[in-house]
Amino acid sequence: MKILLGILIFLIAWQVFSVVLNVPLILPSPYLTFESLSHLAVQLDTYQAILSTVWKSLLVLLTVIAVGIPIGFFMGISESVYEIFRPAVTVVQAVPVISWLALVIFVWGIGWKGPVVIGFLSLLPISIFTTASGVRSTDKNLIEMAKVYRVPKVKIVKTIYLGSLVPFIFSTVEVIIGDVWKVIVVAEYLCGSSGIGVLISWARQYVDVPKIYALTIITVALGIASERVAKMAFRKILGKWQIPS
Amino acid sequence: MADTILRVENLKKDFGALPVIDGWNLELVKEERIAMIGPSGCGKTTFLKIIADLDRNFLGNVERNFERIGFVFQEPRLIPWISVMENLTFVSSDEDKIIFFLKAMRLEGFENYLPSQLSGGMKQRVNLVRALIVDPEILILDEPFASLDMPVKFAIIEDINALRNQKRFAIIMITHDTKEAISMADRVLILSKRPSKIVEDVKINLQEGERDISNTEFIKIESDLMKKIFFY
Repeated sequence: MKILLGILIFLIAWQVFSVVLNVPLILPSPYLTFESLSHLAVQLDTYQAILSTVWKSLLVLLTVIAVGIPIGFFMGISESVYEIFRPAVTVVQAVPVISWLALVIFVWGIGWKGPVVIGFLSLLPISIFTTASGVRSTDKNLIEMAKVYRVPKVKIVKTIYLGSLVPFIFSTVEVIIGDVWKVIVVAEYLCGSSGIGVLISWARQYVDVPKIYALTIITVALGIASERVAKMAFRKILGKWQIPS
Repeated sequence: MADTILRVENLKKDFGALPVIDGWNLELVKEERIAMIGPSGCGKTTFLKIIADLDRNFLGNVERNFERIGFVFQEPRLIPWISVMENLTFVSSDEDKIIFFLKAMRLEGFENYLPSQLSGGMKQRVNLVRALIVDPEILILDEPFASLDMPVKFAIIEDINALRNQKRFAIIMITHDTKEAISMADRVLILSKRPSKIVEDVKINLQEGERDISNTEFIKIESDLMKKIFFY
């Protein structure tokens, strides 16, 4: 109920500002935007674009998890590995998207690979550092307990380190899910051949501002929906991790 | 001596500029039980870590004539995301033994519970079961009852004493509570302030049946012990 009230207040404020400003090129009214949204809803192109953005986002999510978590794990478990990888990961994190863009256009041109690579490189450091900090924050008392009982190292890694890591993996996935849409849409806008970002780029060329807003609403809705689904899925699994011993 | 399970000679330990243990000497024979009482920060837990081979940064000689050690930590140190049974199989695969000790510690039926679903006393019992299933020659108790209320504490002590009479493992126990010490130990070592020394080695001349806190002799021994502790 409160959420609906919040949305209503937001829409009213939007309407008021659009009337006061009276510059549809900057801020179209909610009516114009939702009209554009309803046009998009009946066009096949829209669904193809959404599908294109969704699969690229999923691909980025999976590759970031598959690559970032193992690297982060070994960085967390060994100080030497951490020090070896940290500079490279920090550099990747600091490189602006525009630099990657120049590189991927040069290598692959316009297409699906560019947005995926840019998305991957933008989100990889987050997954690495979150995983590493998860491993580093493993309860040292549990490790000490395992040493007293001479538990084999493989078992310590499997049960204690990986177990400690689970909440961090889920929070990494949550963060990535929240960010991946934005990154992919931006990358599509800059170097994609299909997807929501490409539709936004075309709408910009035709100065169709309500359409830009409508596509933005679709992107935001995808982001919120995926985050909610992930949270609901994780809540049950994470039940036993959230309660302190 | 052939029966010596642990011999400590001139043990010294410091944390940088802070000397903590200053020349401890002690000997523990098989099946013997000692309790150590001393002020906070005098190196009791550090000493236990040295015995358990978790800390090798010390001076002096520590001779360990045992293979298996059971360590009951001050806090239960149970892995929160796995069940009681999985916490126990983490250290030993002997399920028959696990079931035996779970029964002995009145934890039957809680095998599939997560640690968070247990009370403080029950967690401490699991901590104890974990120490016992490795068939220890020496059981180390690091203030295991500090957070428990009196009835729970003495119920667990009774269980430990019963099991110890059966399994005959040696015990080294740290406590601040003279009642706990007298209930469980053959000797009580009193430690001085940091840098600590073992200043008294008090023999507890009580038979098993007499280790009852309402027993007159128990009360007298406790009173004498308290005087000695206050003296240092």
